[in-house]
Amino acid sequence: MSAHVAVVRSELTKIITLRSVWLTLGGVLALQVLVGAMSVSLYSDAVAAMTPDGIIEIFVGQPQDAEQAMLESLVASSLEMCIFLPVVAAVIAGQEFRGRQLRTSLLAVPARGQLVTAKLVAAGVFLLLPALLVAAVSTLFTYLAVRQWQPGLVVSEAALSAQARFVVFAVALCLVTYAVTLVTRSVVVAVMVAVVLTAVAMSQALAPTLDRWLPVSAGRNLLLDPVSTPDLTSGPTLAVAVLATWVVVLGIVAGAAFTRREAP
Amino acid sequence: MTRRRRGVDRIEESFPPVCEVHVITIEHLSKRYRQSMAVDDVTFTAVPGRVTGFLGPNGAGKSTTLRILLGLTSATSGTATIGGRRYAELRDPLRTVGAMLDGAGAVPERRAVDHLRWIAQSNRIPRSRVDEVLGLVDLERARSQRVRTFSLGMTQRLGIAAALLGDPQVVVLDEPTNGLDPAGIRWIRTLMREFAAQGRTVLVSSHQMAEMADTVDDLVIIDRGRVLVHGTLGAVVAGHPSLEDAFFAALAAGAAR
Repeated sequence: MSAHVAVVRSELTKIITLRSVWLTLGGVLALQVLVGAMSVSLYSDAVAAMTPDGIIEIFVGQPQDAEQAMLESLVASSLEMCIFLPVVAAVIAGQEFRGRQLRTSLLAVPARGQLVTAKLVAAGVFLLLPALLVAAVSTLFTYLAVRQWQPGLVVSEAALSAQARFVVFAVALCLVTYAVTLVTRSVVVAVMVAVVLTAVAMSQALAPTLDRWLPVSAGRNLLLDPVSTPDLTSGPTLAVAVLATWVVVLGIVAGAAFTRREAP
Repeated sequence: MTRRRRGVDRIEESFPPVCEVHVITIEHLSKRYRQSMAVDDVTFTAVPGRVTGFLGPNGAGKSTTLRILLGLTSATSGTATIGGRRYAELRDPLRTVGAMLDGAGAVPERRAVDHLRWIAQSNRIPRSRVDEVLGLVDLERARSQRVRTFSLGMTQRLGIAAALLGDPQVVVLDEPTNGLDPAGIRWIRTLMREFAAQGRTVLVSSHQMAEMADTVDDLVIIDRGRVLVHGTLGAVVAGHPSLEDAFFAALAAGAAR
């Protein structure tokens, strides 16, 4: 086993042996299940009342194509959790600053660039799990709503493509939060940054020329349908590029912060 | 014979021949924090087969020197090497150097065995070694306990277990007996003596005279960032009733310079 793989493996062990990571992840999933369970009857009733030409009315006065509406609800169910998934990332990153673990980490891996790279790789690999679990939960509740009508909808090409884009966005946003935690050495500050980024994207307070460069806005631009959401500020290609740039740039900043600062 | 270099009493006595690969060499090391010099032109060596004590009052610069040696803090000038190489240049460093600075450095909610497991994995140390060191520090029964439930002494033992994971030839311990009960202090003293007998290099910092007098072969006395005395224990104590008297005499002489 190469030294790099060994360090990534040890970083993964750090993550999976931390109880607070599983508790936080469990909390996020429980919240999603709660929200899903509360709204599943809304969607299943709308599907049951579908008109012969395939139109449903999830919200009164807003008739939509049934397939399009249910795919959007699938994406929305996953996307909602992007408010909470960054907390998992912050908890993972924040462990280094508890009990002076960072000092132990630097004694084990004194090459700080190698350590930060391994941390980001391990976090990226692990964070696939929460993203996939969130996608699975939203798939389950959408299936419960459409099973009498079109059970294959949740595994259609369009649904799988949307979930794949969600996973890309969720992991990228979590890695951004992870890197911010490493830079600021604070879980609270990192979560606050994620909340502010989300609030700015949701409020669309910025001009489109600025908004498209923010990570949560990029996620929205990547996931939502430009037909039903005409106020998107960029296309999916630029959105992926923006997310990748945030991860890489903040990863470099985290590496520089690790290198310049002294261990606790 | 005594030779003075920049105010340092270097007490020359026949140091035994050494294996250069595992010699700790501190040369003209300085560390400045804004207006104050935490470490000021510190020079000494610690050699294999001997326990070298690093003795000084609180705030003397012991921990800063050890942190620079272990790559945790950057030096303003000078070098600190192990076998001629900086700590950061060592491949799988825990296989060469085992260090414990101020406790275990472990997340309180993690189980002791998991703490040692990730450290072992990072340096490609076999998993079986985790169980070995847990036995060595008498923590087998607490292996699945979370670190937050540990007493201070148990935390100290966990830190020592982590230092020993790589079966290192160089052991650096900063105040290792803090929090240990008398049996624990005796255990760590015996452990250090055994390591030296096995030909390992042991550098231990402390401000406790009795612990040093009973354990070390060589001694470096430091105060206000400067080395006052460096020599064998016998040579440092010679002419004084005890190590404590020698220590305070060195401090007084240092303050008068």
